[in-house]
Amino acid sequence: MSKFLRNIFVFALIISFIIAFSGSYSSLSMDNLAYVLAIGIDSSDENKLEVTFEFSTTSPASESGSSEKTSPVINTVTASTLSNAINLMNSYMGKQINMSHCKIIVFSEELAYQGISDEIYTLINDTQIRPSANIMISKCSAKYYLKQTKPELESSIFKYYEILTNSSKYTGYIPDSSIGNFFNNLLCKSCMPTAILCGTNQADLQNSSAKDAEKNSSIKANETLLEGKNGSESIGTAVFRDDKLVGELNAIETISFLTTRNEIDRFLISVPDPIKQGKYLDIYLSLDGKPEIKVDTSTSSPYIKFKTKFSGRIYSMSKDSDYLSPEVLNIISNTCNSYLESTFSKYLYRTAQEFHSDISGFGKNALLNFFTYSESNSYNWLENYKNSFFDVDVDTSIQSGMLLTET
Amino acid sequence: MTSSKINTADAIMLILSIVVTHTMLSLPRNILIVTKSATILNLIFVSIIAILIAYFIVRLMRSFSGLDLIDISEFLGGKVLKTIIGIIFIAYFLSSSSIMLRNFCESLKIIYYPVTDITFIILFFIIAICMANRLDFGATIKTNTLILPFVLASIIFLFFANMNKFSPQRMFPILGDGIIQTFGWGLINLSAFGGIAYLYFLPTALNEPHKMKKIALISIGISAIYLILCVSTLLFMFSFFLEANEITPLYNATRYIEFGNFFQRLESIFLLFWILAVAGYMSIVSKFSMRIFQKITNIENKKSLIDIFGLLIFGISTIPKNYAISEKCETEIYPYMVLGIVFVLGISILVLANLSKRNKKTKRKEEQHV
Repeated sequence: MSKFLRNIFVFALIISFIIAFSGSYSSLSMDNLAYVLAIGIDSSDENKLEVTFEFSTTSPASESGSSEKTSPVINTVTASTLSNAINLMNSYMGKQINMSHCKIIVFSEELAYQGISDEIYTLINDTQIRPSANIMISKCSAKYYLKQTKPELESSIFKYYEILTNSSKYTGYIPDSSIGNFFNNLLCKSCMPTAILCGTNQADLQNSSAKDAEKNSSIKANETLLEGKNGSESIGTAVFRDDKLVGELNAIETISFLTTRNEIDRFLISVPDPIKQGKYLDIYLSLDGKPEIKVDTSTSSPYIKFKTKFSGRIYSMSKDSDYLSPEVLNIISNTCNSYLESTFSKYLYRTAQEFHSDISGFGKNALLNFFTYSESNSYNWLENYKNSFFDVDVDTSIQSGMLLTET
Repeated sequence: MTSSKINTADAIMLILSIVVTHTMLSLPRNILIVTKSATILNLIFVSIIAILIAYFIVRLMRSFSGLDLIDISEFLGGKVLKTIIGIIFIAYFLSSSSIMLRNFCESLKIIYYPVTDITFIILFFIIAICMANRLDFGATIKTNTLILPFVLASIIFLFFANMNKFSPQRMFPILGDGIIQTFGWGLINLSAFGGIAYLYFLPTALNEPHKMKKIALISIGISAIYLILCVSTLLFMFSFFLEANEITPLYNATRYIEFGNFFQRLESIFLLFWILAVAGYMSIVSKFSMRIFQKITNIENKKSLIDIFGLLIFGISTIPKNYAISEKCETEIYPYMVLGIVFVLGISILVLANLSKRNKKTKRKEEQHV
């Protein structure tokens, strides 16, 4: 009898567990979920948000086995907060929105100028949002940016969003600005957050000022000379002071920014050719080791010494080039040094004097000068950063050309 | 048969299990809040003190070879003191583990079971504890010895996998809030070494009680390294622990691990190991509590206690009305419980018992002399 009762008890327990956990199972079941790939957030009238969700659509494989390109579903909702927008969209879609595959979160420039901390806190609080989802600031409306994004080489837009930032490693034109990093820097007392600058390629191809070689590197999103089916582009960095957008960095400034943070492997720059007047040399540079940063906080104007080393190979080639001569390589190295020193200095003074925002995180190095928090707090790094002086030292060693060394 | 006895490796893992399970929740943040950027310095200091304390405890227990704290209390103050000390330690073991279980289940609910009632998630662990406790004492300990190396390895992996996201400058200003806060008030971080509590009850459970010193030093040493790794991971990665409270800081760190586009979302593996570690820890705690209870009540049949202790843990873990209360218990009460019960009360009993024994010896010698 007791065995019988025990069996009944065990059976009842199993049934109650099945019932208790089935709710969670159903709520996380793929059939009941609508997967969001990207979120676009624009400001709307009366302090409201216009939130655009881009959903994945699952397409059955064709008979030949090749997957067909499917256009994603883009829906927009206006609500007072992001959470309300998600809730309204849940109701509209008839499926629960799941953001565990959301790869990019786009904010319009207009909203970013007003401040985005509420949205960032809400998103970080969500268990589904991955810390690796990228924060982007759109020069146009976020909704328009998402609509214009039509990857040409990828059948899946999810894959496109996933590899979108990969080019940063070899171009240095966009920063790594995952929401995890953004949140970390937002709460950091010695650094400031940044985001990827994006837009649509609507530049006037005929009259653009970015056509000559030097100005190629001063482009940013919305200003490039690209033309293609994919109407969106991401070049440059959006600079924040606390949660508010305060400025933008172009391509070469983004390279400078990533170099100061040691977050770049290699990049291509165009420097004036010291041998042939009026011409430009394209050089592939790689960072040689970690940059040296020393911060002197003995006065209220921080003195920041920044020293970095590059090794490079000449990429562009023309007739009568001699890249085997040590003298020529030395001259090119010196040209590179002065060009990069000037570029880095311009970038650094811009962050200090124009943006008042330590996006390079020199404040972390300044912490080495203090023994206690009370000392560092009384120095007030973020306030004093605008008075900073910079001493940039670049040491470039140009090796040779690539396959061709002499023509 | 020696199946109910445990060997040296098992004993080391047993002590480690307390540190490991509490580290999964708010312990690293609690440590960081007290000493901020000086935490690594503080942990080195506190670890040295913990090793000295463990050594001192072993020295004090040496004069009572083969006896645990309950037996020593009986020697010191008779059955009354034995019962009081027994009840205090049972209350400490059950309350600290139940609140830890509650907080862990709250995290599981938030992450994986958003619409499941918390009681069912807790009940899942309670059933595991009750089933494990029906097995032999050695079986639970051996299971813990099997699981814990994986957890330790996962933390080392977590440290190295996130290394590229580290900003070591965050360990500056080196003295945090000053020398007094780091080395004075920072002594509260000794509570991280709550595993020392088991040292009091190990002698009767050990195969080789003479290896107590080795067990104490190795386990506290590994605990110290483990704590430094966990805290360093959080300190170097995040700047926001003083500004924002994450429900499970180490879980948050696991979410950042990515190796290209292929190896992503490894946090589920971490959570699997941690669930096993928590289940193992809970079984050990209830087993030790039952052993103490058996000692103070002279109850022979252990089986009748298993479900009662399971229900006790379940009851205590469901007392807090919400996560805020249970988290407050863990962050504001648990450290003082460890310091008060494990360090102050336990050591006081041992010191007094040693003095009493010495007095008795001297008296006996005097009587013989007379």
